[in-house]
Amino acid sequence: MSAAMENAGDKSYVLVQIGDSRFAMPAAAVSELAPPVRLHRFPQNSPLVAGVIVRRGRIVPVYDVSRILAGKNSRAHRFYLVATRDFESFPEASAIPVDGECELVTAPIQHPDATSPRYVLGTLSIGEENIQVLDLNALVTVTAGESNKSDYVENPA
Amino acid sequence: MKIAAQEPTKSRRIRRSEAVILFTVSNQLFAIAADSVQEIRSTDSLGAAMEIEQQEISKVRHTIERNHRTYFVVNACAHFGLRVARPTLVLILRQVRVAVLVDKIERMTEVPAIHALPRAFVGTECQWYRGLAYLEDQVIPVINPLGFLTTSEFKRLDGSIAEAASQRTLEGAAQL
Repeated sequence: MSAAMENAGDKSYVLVQIGDSRFAMPAAAVSELAPPVRLHRFPQNSPLVAGVIVRRGRIVPVYDVSRILAGKNSRAHRFYLVATRDFESFPEASAIPVDGECELVTAPIQHPDATSPRYVLGTLSIGEENIQVLDLNALVTVTAGESNKSDYVENPA
Repeated sequence: MKIAAQEPTKSRRIRRSEAVILFTVSNQLFAIAADSVQEIRSTDSLGAAMEIEQQEISKVRHTIERNHRTYFVVNACAHFGLRVARPTLVLILRQVRVAVLVDKIERMTEVPAIHALPRAFVGTECQWYRGLAYLEDQVIPVINPLGFLTTSEFKRLDGSIAEAASQRTLEGAAQL
């Protein structure tokens, strides 16, 4: 599976389960699906950052995007999807908690409709399902006004 | 399960091994460079602490005098937004006129490296921490001693002290 994924190319996407929905991320940006390792928390007030995990000697920030995508804080999740976030020319490994196993698909991407949030790159039609393709950089910098979930708040108490 | 060829960069390590003091505040573990702490005292021994009258900077309630310098006593629980605990120790810092109220010293140890705070962090923690240490399966924030009070907070606190001193002088003169 690993070799096939590595050669999957630009039109390959990793499907993840977050809350009750499935979302996709471009496979080229994804580095690994990590097991439910310990989430280290410490005082901080960055929007969406839940803490950090340690993977292969690196300290990886974890963004709790379930507040944006599912409208609630993540429950006990099963895995972390580790992907690269670009800070201008500096790539940084970043993790998002996901609720189930991932799946690799190759499919054409449809343009997002005009009402889609900024973090949606497009949609994939998989069977009868329309799956939003996420832009990690845009997703983790989303503000309360941009979320399509009305109960999303930044920095909840 | 590794599913892509791209290997993100390693955490940015900003310094080699370093001696640190591990301490807790409201059950949260922190590290501070050992050479940035001048003295550790029990709060019981700070009987001569002066109360400071100002409302703006709620984490500072007292000052102490050491070597003819006035140190502002910062409550670490309030500084980090943690649940208020009952501090038993005060760390008197070396580089700045700050003394920090903490709950407990865990131990002194050496950390192999200090990793830069990931760029995901954009809040006040960027002033609070020099970086993160990974020690015995724990990620521990490493305190920036200069991050407890800003220059403008020092100015306001110094102003409060000067105002209180002049008030006392006036009151003393009135009693005569």
